Amino acid sequence: MSLMDKMLALDQRIIFALMFIALAFPILSPVILPMNIQQYSRDSFEFADSIPSGSVVLIEGGLGAATYPQGGPGLEVQIVHLLSKDIKLVFFSIGTETAAWTVTAIDNALAKLPSGVAAENGVNWVHMGYVPGGESGVAAFANDIRSVKTEDHFGTPIGQIPLMSDINKASDFAALFWWGGSEGSIPFGIRQIVTPFGVPMTGMCTTNEVPNYTPYINSGQMIGIIGGVRGSAEYEYLMGMPGLALGQAMATNFGGLLWALLVVLGNVLYFVARREGGAK
Amino acid sequence: MQIPMILTAVIGLLMIIEFFFPMPASVTSLNVTLRSFVTIISATALILGTIVLTIFHTKKVGTRGSEWYYSIVYVVAFVVTAGLGVLNVRDTTFLWIYNNMTSPIGAALYSLTAFYITSAAYRVLRARNWNAAVLLVCALVVLLMLIPIGAILFPPVVPLGEWIRSFPSGAGFRGMIIGTSLGIMGLGVRVFMGRQKEHLGIREERRDSE
Repeated sequence: MSLMDKMLALDQRIIFALMFIALAFPILSPVILPMNIQQYSRDSFEFADSIPSGSVVLIEGGLGAATYPQGGPGLEVQIVHLLSKDIKLVFFSIGTETAAWTVTAIDNALAKLPSGVAAENGVNWVHMGYVPGGESGVAAFANDIRSVKTEDHFGTPIGQIPLMSDINKASDFAALFWWGGSEGSIPFGIRQIVTPFGVPMTGMCTTNEVPNYTPYINSGQMIGIIGGVRGSAEYEYLMGMPGLALGQAMATNFGGLLWALLVVLGNVLYFVARREGGAK
Repeated sequence: MQIPMILTAVIGLLMIIEFFFPMPASVTSLNVTLRSFVTIISATALILGTIVLTIFHTKKVGTRGSEWYYSIVYVVAFVVTAGLGVLNVRDTTFLWIYNNMTSPIGAALYSLTAFYITSAAYRVLRARNWNAAVLLVCALVVLLMLIPIGAILFPPVVPLGEWIRSFPSGAGFRGMIIGTSLGIMGLGVRVFMGRQKEHLGIREERRDSE
């Protein structure tokens, strides 16, 4: 087997090792480089920033163990952003696991809050927990929260939560933030809350899912989207709160460049081999 | 058999007409109640699914079915985790299991895609013809747009990548969404007319001779 053939059939363990080094090195020795902010992320940030103080917003926490590293840091910073503007937050999740991760996001965000920012459970924020039923559950929740939930995630009856006293349907919210991760649930929010109730919405999904939702942004049904760890990093950057996502986004520099180099190398070798009559 | 189909059609129509036309409060109220049924039924289905899965694995262990030892892992994991969760969902041991076992496994599985995608791209993403070349160029441009350093090394990839994502890619996905929606509408009409019965657990044989 010639060297060319060996390179074309490169052992995947070598590729895995190279990728591991490319991703691990910048995480262990982070270097923050200037970054271009994507328009979708900027739109999401500016939308959140434009919500008037005192408003109540709805947040779907759809991040799980697999997707929290991508979206979690962004959600945490957004919670800090909104609470700092005295905006009241109502969380819910359409998954059991994601409901627990939403608690993690809230806890982490509260730990990052500047002193003096009010963040009392039941007054400034409330987590309504798991809403079963997928899209139909979202529809039920949007139409009559009390028909679906009688208590919050921690077991407090809804009647004893001051924040919920005047809130019972989607039209009571000034905005919707759908942190869908890889649930594929962003259209649930658009179909069941944005369209029937006219509540403006931004979303978050994993990087690979962003193209799925660009039609909703182009049509104006969604204002912007936070795409994966890069989107979270951009939110951190815009907030001036560098955190985990920014470090991870820097790691994607090396991983992404390695990917591009390998693909280019694969093509160069392919064309050389084809010229020599080898590759098909 | 007629009653479930009539129920499906009537409830489906109630939901649809409420979306498009102003309805009396009694109809809206009925719809709210029906939608809350969904959450109850879904929660019940979750419990039912767990019970069925547990019975399946317990039987497999009992009868020493094929690869029964994997079922032991399920049964032990289920009993321990569910037991602790039922006792107290915010219990430290339960959270320890979740935070130190479930979460890392989920995150690790998801992150493996970075390795496999790279390996697959090296072998497959080659400009074998014009179509593949377009795909290759678009993939490289969008990737460089997405990595933070891409805009510094190759500034044109940002507008080009945004354009690819917003227009050709957006148009493709829009077509897919419209196609899927039309398919769902067609399926809905078939359900209302009683021609689609899978939701009732009835699988009809295809009659190719028709």
